[in-house]
Amino acid sequence: MRLVAEIALVALAAGAIAVCLSRLPASAAPFWRRASRPEPIRPEQLIAVERLVSISEASALSVHAHLRPILVEICAQRLAARGDRLDAMTDEAGAEILGERLWELVRPGRPFPEDRHGPGIPARELAPMLGVIEQL
Amino acid sequence: MALAGAAIVTGLAGGAPELVVIATPMLLLIAVGLALCAEPRLTVEVALDHTRLIEGQSATITVVIRNDGPAVDLEAALERTSHVGVDPGGPLLLRLGSGRSQSLTFAARPDRWGAHTVGPMVIRARDPLGVRVWDARLGGRMTLRSFPDEQRLRHLVAPLRTQPFLGAHVARLRGSGIEFADIRPFSPGDRVRQVNWRATARRGSLYVTDRHPEHASDVVLLLDTFAEARNGDGGTLDAAVRAAATMARAHLARRDRVALVDFGGTLHWLEPAFGTRQLYRIVDALLASDIAFSYAWRAVESIPRKLLPPGALIVAVTPLLDERSIRLITDLRTRGRDLSVIEVSPTRHTQPGPTAGDRVAYQLWTLQRQALRARLHAMGIAVVVWDETDLLDAGLEGVNAFRRSAGLAAHA
Repeated sequence: MRLVAEIALVALAAGAIAVCLSRLPASAAPFWRRASRPEPIRPEQLIAVERLVSISEASALSVHAHLRPILVEICAQRLAARGDRLDAMTDEAGAEILGERLWELVRPGRPFPEDRHGPGIPARELAPMLGVIEQL
Repeated sequence: MALAGAAIVTGLAGGAPELVVIATPMLLLIAVGLALCAEPRLTVEVALDHTRLIEGQSATITVVIRNDGPAVDLEAALERTSHVGVDPGGPLLLRLGSGRSQSLTFAARPDRWGAHTVGPMVIRARDPLGVRVWDARLGGRMTLRSFPDEQRLRHLVAPLRTQPFLGAHVARLRGSGIEFADIRPFSPGDRVRQVNWRATARRGSLYVTDRHPEHASDVVLLLDTFAEARNGDGGTLDAAVRAAATMARAHLARRDRVALVDFGGTLHWLEPAFGTRQLYRIVDALLASDIAFSYAWRAVESIPRKLLPPGALIVAVTPLLDERSIRLITDLRTRGRDLSVIEVSPTRHTQPGPTAGDRVAYQLWTLQRQALRARLHAMGIAVVVWDETDLLDAGLEGVNAFRRSAGLAAHA
């Protein structure tokens, strides 16, 4: 009987402690927060290009349908600035100025890829092509 | 208290007197503390020495805390919005006796233009025994308006057309003015004061001097708030607002009529007007500028016609990050509007991502932006990339140089 009473008392005390701890005033919580700095914002335009480069690594279709038009526009503008026209260039002249790999990608009339699920262009191959464009 | 109570109960129940001995003084201390402590009666007054500042300036905030209740220990901190730096920044500790008051001084320095709020004071009070704690937010909320830091401009974009109001732009047409235009034979209707007596004496018949009048122009500042790039150093919108405020002040000082169109997720505008009052209106409107995310397609038709008077010079201040603002610029140009673009460079606030693919993407994005710029140039739009670390004057001179080379000379 005494043992049961002792257990009951201890349980009661433990319960009281638990209730009191849960009802502690805000003293345990920080009462003041420093104003947070605004989050950096990356342009959606850049994020879209990152996504495009990423999917172009995996898909020949993305290269042809999405990456190629951008490269064509950039190359056409760069060539126009030096008096050349992309759409009037011969294969030999194009390959000489842009390099064979880039010319193959941006040449007028490039056919739709036979295997649309085929491999795309890895970033390590795209980088030298962009280097060529920058040099124009 | 709960701990002490539990220890006593457990000690008594378990026949452990040592627990009772340890817990009793604690319980007594708490009981005395609770008996003596009373609700603190604190009042706080917050005052600012300046409510209007230029970016980079600081204001002094004086806070007076008065205690009409029993003595308390206080932790006090000043609440404020994110772009206001306060010195001292963290909570201050002080003990305030009954009937005493304490004055605290803070230096507030906004690091960006805008309407910032300072206050209230966030206070945590404890009775001297530390038994009870009270949290409160006291004192008023003050508004600190920080105006954009403007640059001095020596050049402005020369408008293609002027309006028949007295101003500072030399018009191409001939009339009464100061700038010499031409000498021609007298014709009926010419005034005697126009007669050039030296040429008349030399040629033997009446000759008159023609002059160019000084006219004002209508200027529409188009602020693109569709998108921005931002990092710890600031963002493109911050720089765009500074540029717009600088140009508004300079054009109004030259007696031009200036309008403001905040073109973004939400459309705000100020109709063209002259004078100092318009400058204050524009600066106040610029302080409220913010990027409002929206999928809504906006075209030139969204802008009320009265905001784009015929012959007005439109200066777009934009990071060229959103297709809608690029479309608006090309639309305005194809409608024959006199348009120039100050491109607030986003590259300063944007870093390439961590992977090799991200770095290639960044390179491609940069090339794509250059191609866009070339496309706008080909349409006859003067686009100048302006980095906020450079002088805006140099950017505007670049616009004028492009317009001269493109044959866009001013005429009335």
